[in-house]
Amino acid sequence: MEQIPILKVGRCLLVSIQIDMHDRLALALQDDLTHKLVETRARGVLIDISALDLVDSFIGRMLSNIAAMARVLDAQTVLVGMRPQVAITLVELGLTLPDIKTALDVDRGLALINRLIDEPDGSDRARGAH
Amino acid sequence: MHVERTSTLEVRTSEDVVKVRQEVRNRTAAAGFSLVDQTKFVTAASEIARNTIDHGGGGIARVETIFSAGKRGVRLVFEDAGPGIADIALAMQDGYSSGGGLGMGLPGAKRLSNEFCVESTPGKGTKVTLVRWKMPKL
Amino acid sequence: MLDKLGLYTAEVYQQSRDDIIKRQAQELLELSTPVVELWDKILALPLIGTLDSERTQTVIENLLNHIVKSGAEIAIIDITGVPTVDTLVAQNLIKTVSAARLMGADCIISGIRPQIAQTIVHLGLQLDVVSKATMADALALALKRTGKIVSPVSSKPQ
Repeated sequence: MEQIPILKVGRCLLVSIQIDMHDRLALALQDDLTHKLVETRARGVLIDISALDLVDSFIGRMLSNIAAMARVLDAQTVLVGMRPQVAITLVELGLTLPDIKTALDVDRGLALINRLIDEPDGSDRARGAH
Repeated sequence: MHVERTSTLEVRTSEDVVKVRQEVRNRTAAAGFSLVDQTKFVTAASEIARNTIDHGGGGIARVETIFSAGKRGVRLVFEDAGPGIADIALAMQDGYSSGGGLGMGLPGAKRLSNEFCVESTPGKGTKVTLVRWKMPKL
Repeated sequence: MLDKLGLYTAEVYQQSRDDIIKRQAQELLELSTPVVELWDKILALPLIGTLDSERTQTVIENLLNHIVKSGAEIAIIDITGVPTVDTLVAQNLIKTVSAARLMGADCIISGIRPQIAQTIVHLGLQLDVVSKATMADALALALKRTGKIVSPVSSKPQ
């Protein structure tokens, strides 16, 4: 069965979701990530969805779950690369993902995660959930 | 109103949901929908397809390109022979918390469509019809 | 046959007039929702007129496309030109803010007139976003958030 690759980049784990995910793959990813987080003691998870032309409530829930699991393991999650039409649709669906931090692309996402890891109590520069 | 093209797909497994999305994507693109409108409707289709599997025990999806009063549109009909919805009004209420989780996906799909209709008989099955029209462009 | 030609010509004429009207309507809609790149990573949207559902769609699309183009991290939405803020307008504002946030940009609402502030409280509306009275205040906050300092040029003679 195909697997979504998880890369270690500095203190973060980088996941790039490239394909249309079905349930088994989504569950496998969540499982894989929690294992790797514990193994590597990574402090951040960067999820790149720039290749996704659609995010429905199932994927939305998966993303929320990943952020929640990462939080329990003291890691920050940042979602990057959401396409405008996906953001518009998610908002219409009522899925605003308030518990996940976001950035425009991988570069900014990494910068944000590093800031969050180094300034955990959030300075004026912290962004994310209101 | 007439139907220009129609195809029927099985909706039983999670791979079928992917196929439904691709078919709706192709149809809405062929009908000239804007990218945003395509994405909205394909997402609506995905929501209802999942419902059909999770709550309806599986069923079928009919994807139709339709033409009416000078407008082209895409109509989706999802049917299952599952337990049905006991209280449609309740199911149509926003079950989404700000964390975005529970609920049957019906109110969300309705917001992403121009026309939306749910018919259900407990014990017999459910039929959900969604239509999105191509908006006149500049 | 000549009748059909006449009818066809009339229809084509009507259709092109309709097209022009639609195009102008679209242009009007876009003109009234300008997005300004105020500073590095800071966008401003001065909204003029009511924020109904259709307008909101255009505003959001415009804003998100600009965020992608400019890499903005903060969007200042100025509602000085929005006559009333009721529950629907508030919902549309929240939608806009949520959409921008999903693209990694935070919003600041500015241009809150005294009556608007009162209406918001009376209607029990939860805006859940930082709001400021003036765009100047919003810009000051945005600059701070993006790590910029504004300081006077030294006036010591050289």
